[in-house]
Amino acid sequence: MKKDSLLYTVIISVVFAFLFVFLLSLAYGATKGKVEENQKLIEARAYLVAAGIAVDDDMDIEASFNSSFPNFDTESAYQTTTVNGKSVIVSPFQGNGLWGTITGVIGLTSDLKRIVGFEIVSHVETPGLGGRIDEAWFKKQFKGENAANGIVVKHGGGSGDTDPDNGEVDGITGASRTSDSVQVIVNQQIEFLKSELGGTK
Amino acid sequence: MNEDSPVQILKNNIWYSNPIFIQILGICSTLAVTNNLSNTFIMTVGLMFVAAFTNITVSLLKNIIPRKVRMILQTLIIAFYVIIVDILLRAYLPEISKSLGPYVGLIITNCIIMGRAEAFAQSHGPIISAWDGITSGLGYMWVLLVIAFVRELMGFGTLFGITVLPAGFTHWTIMVMAPSAFFLLGTFIWIAKTIILKQEAK
Repeated sequence: MKKDSLLYTVIISVVFAFLFVFLLSLAYGATKGKVEENQKLIEARAYLVAAGIAVDDDMDIEASFNSSFPNFDTESAYQTTTVNGKSVIVSPFQGNGLWGTITGVIGLTSDLKRIVGFEIVSHVETPGLGGRIDEAWFKKQFKGENAANGIVVKHGGGSGDTDPDNGEVDGITGASRTSDSVQVIVNQQIEFLKSELGGTK
Repeated sequence: MNEDSPVQILKNNIWYSNPIFIQILGICSTLAVTNNLSNTFIMTVGLMFVAAFTNITVSLLKNIIPRKVRMILQTLIIAFYVIIVDILLRAYLPEISKSLGPYVGLIITNCIIMGRAEAFAQSHGPIISAWDGITSGLGYMWVLLVIAFVRELMGFGTLFGITVLPAGFTHWTIMVMAPSAFFLLGTFIWIAKTIILKQEAK
């Protein structure tokens, strides 16, 4: 067969496409279990952080998760647990960021007035800009913040916001859109929980 | 000296025809990832890996790939290795995979890989092509690390995430954003070219 012929070109292209995609699916299949395990750990860790439980690298996330959430209900939109004698409501959230879906877990006191913890599970924001919502300093700001009237992710200001009572956290420089998205997502989630829990009060 | 000797290839890719400041390839990632040293380092290691294996594969298959479809097949090979890197990171280094996010996928569009596959692997043997891929990756890596060093130091006051500048230091916000990479890269090219021109004049 001539190397320039149409038939040869088509056959080679099809064979190569098939071969490489086949190898990829093998690699994907071989690591699937491991990836899911990692994902579960990341989510379990996020629940712990959102509940206000200190997480460090050496602890057994799975055991700690099972003891903190013994009655984990996958059907429910939120979980309740008790940390240091205080009741905490922990719920997973998701919403639109600048480039894609931001998912995470937020923990609130049982009266929904204060944020206990905030953790991002996944996002596809610009690394180094919007992607910084996943950095510790940003997430830590939410801890203990007054959320009775929702939160505001601030733009500008320069000096930084350290007051936990004003319901304001610092946004990310160069990532106003992502900062705004986080504000909308968190407030929506608080509103949602208010309406969900409203009936039980 | 023979243009294809391993030492000459190393010298060319690191300095005389550096992919970044002479060939001006892979600029998008230079602008995007360099505000943080750790991300830059992993991204460039990923690129080195992909460039080396793509070069080997293209070199091995060069005689059976028809000319008409060679570029699309090169893209397929590049995409294949990039997804392999992504899968490996996700399974074994989930933290790094998380912090790099979409950038691993963007290695596919890095012109250095295709540039080397076209310019070198198409006409050379697999082993020397692998060496060319690795050294191109090195040439890319050292320039990006220099830029990232300045950007992270000025922008965050840290190096590899460790605070090195005193707390009173005012962070240069511009360094965190993409435009600063333009200025730094421009300055870098200016200095590099000046040195090269001086060398040639001698």
